[in-house]
Amino acid sequence: MMQTYHQIARGDTLLAVDHVSLSFGGVKAITDVSFDIRKGEIRAIIGPNGAGKTSMLNVINGFYHPQKGQITFKGLTRSRMRPSVAASQGIARTFQNVALFKGMSTLDNIMAGRTLKMHRNFFWQCLRHGPAMDEEIKHREFVEDIIDFLEIQAIRKVPVGKLPYGLQKRVELGRALAMEPDLLLLDEPMAGMNLEEKEDMSRFIVDVNQQYGTTIALIEHDMGVVMDLSDRVVVLEYGHKLADGTPDDVKANEDVIKAYLGVAH
Amino acid sequence: MFYRETGQFKTNYADDMALLPILQDRIGLGIILFVAYVIIPFFGNDFLLSTVMIPFLVFSLAAIGLNILTGFTGLISLGTGAFMGVGAYACYKVSSTFPDLNILFCIVFSGVFSALVGVLFGLPSLRIKGFYLAVATLAAQFFLQWCFVRIPWLYNYNVSGAIEVSQRSIFGVIVTGAKATPESRYIVMLVLVTLMTWVAANVLSGRIGRAFMAVRDMDIAAELMGIDLLKTKLLAFAFSSFYAGVAGAAMMFIWVGGGEANDSFNINQSFLILFMVIIGGLGSLLGAFLGAAFISSLPTILKFGLPAIGIPLAGATAEHLTYILVGGLILFFLIVEPHGLARLWQIGKQKLRMWPFPY
Repeated sequence: MMQTYHQIARGDTLLAVDHVSLSFGGVKAITDVSFDIRKGEIRAIIGPNGAGKTSMLNVINGFYHPQKGQITFKGLTRSRMRPSVAASQGIARTFQNVALFKGMSTLDNIMAGRTLKMHRNFFWQCLRHGPAMDEEIKHREFVEDIIDFLEIQAIRKVPVGKLPYGLQKRVELGRALAMEPDLLLLDEPMAGMNLEEKEDMSRFIVDVNQQYGTTIALIEHDMGVVMDLSDRVVVLEYGHKLADGTPDDVKANEDVIKAYLGVAH
Repeated sequence: MFYRETGQFKTNYADDMALLPILQDRIGLGIILFVAYVIIPFFGNDFLLSTVMIPFLVFSLAAIGLNILTGFTGLISLGTGAFMGVGAYACYKVSSTFPDLNILFCIVFSGVFSALVGVLFGLPSLRIKGFYLAVATLAAQFFLQWCFVRIPWLYNYNVSGAIEVSQRSIFGVIVTGAKATPESRYIVMLVLVTLMTWVAANVLSGRIGRAFMAVRDMDIAAELMGIDLLKTKLLAFAFSSFYAGVAGAAMMFIWVGGGEANDSFNINQSFLILFMVIIGGLGSLLGAFLGAAFISSLPTILKFGLPAIGIPLAGATAEHLTYILVGGLILFFLIVEPHGLARLWQIGKQKLRMWPFPY
């Protein structure tokens, strides 16, 4: 069922990473990596620790500027950009170690994700009536849909700093969804979760992909999850691209097995 | 007990997003406003009005200003005193250049100058954070204080170097100068504080307030949501300095009534307001009021109140004793609740909700 959906959704290239190299002084984080993300797919980036996966996400959303190579997103090619510009072009992400606004409630956190879409000026903000309130309510309705979708109604007004880790991860996903992204980058969405939480999160990821049609790139260490969820997998090791293809291809790849399991010398 | 929100259902988002969604809070605020607007001016004596209430309101305004910057946006500033000074001198210049202008307008308008200066000294905040930013804002404190003394244009080249407050009236009632009654000055101040608190609450609960808090809690993630860090931080500096400037202008024109202004806007003043914000509660408008009451009014009440109830205190002893008492209380409250008096109030409210059960 899922497979057929994706065969339809698979289409044009949404994002292309073209011969990107990134180094910090003498440390080479990424060396000459190229891959693409197609519209509507779930693309996994895997690899051992220190392989350059998170660096890759940081390059995609503009935190790091690669020394070589370029990135094409929605047909626009660029080599340097600021994260806020990436956000306005439709790239949202979550972080490996939760980066929520801890002092704010769940609702405010997700509402903060709508910032780019709210435009009422300072004068109306001072009054908080008329147009400013209308805008606030319009976006509140959208945010409430996300809250329903992620089943976090009960913690709407709780400061996120007080929530357990699994829920924080869910709120962070909600905040990214509030941006209505074209490309959603998930950095280890299931790290540190128990089986049940992982199942929930997997379900949310698949639902986001199917209901909202959002393209997803995710980094994950749980191979079961990766192989089940993703349409295509790219494998990095020591900053190099090791393999790229469907889960089955990658599973059968000699180099990948070597990198993950090691091989008798 | 009586403080329960049970049964208060919201059927639309506008009600749910109101500034005070709980009925009891609205009633409480109504009572406070009634006392402030009706009871105090009619039944309070001159001492209560001009020595306790007016300074309290001035400091509340300044504390709200600093709280916007430090409590909501997470940027520490030690330049509040200087920004207040900018407001005071701007108000002096504006009101003496345009004598026909309404004085209330002058006071509010002087906040604009303070906001501009705040933006200028807020520029380093993009690069530096925390204690280092605090040190950078010290530059504002010392530089501006230097300007207040060395640039005679600011005080209209008068010999004393002091701000002279002329007599002005609103709707025929004298509100500044020597002839203004404490009642009229108090009411003007109260209206100013009420309106500006309302505006601050509105801004802070909307898009801009969320952007401020996002920058405070996790600036990297905020940038990723498309929040422009530089713009947001500068807006926080402008907004905060505006409040400080108005507070400074009000301090000179409504409270003190002129004089050697330089001493009023020194580093001690900046620290005092920072203490108000910390003890009152970072990131809470209520905290600004509680902190201002604690730091500015308590010493006055102790100094004059203890003799009034029969505990004899004289001159220097009173001075020293109030220092000791206030210092001790500050320590006590910081140990009991490091997040400030506002948090203490919140815990109290939670207890009331649960009463008679412990949890």
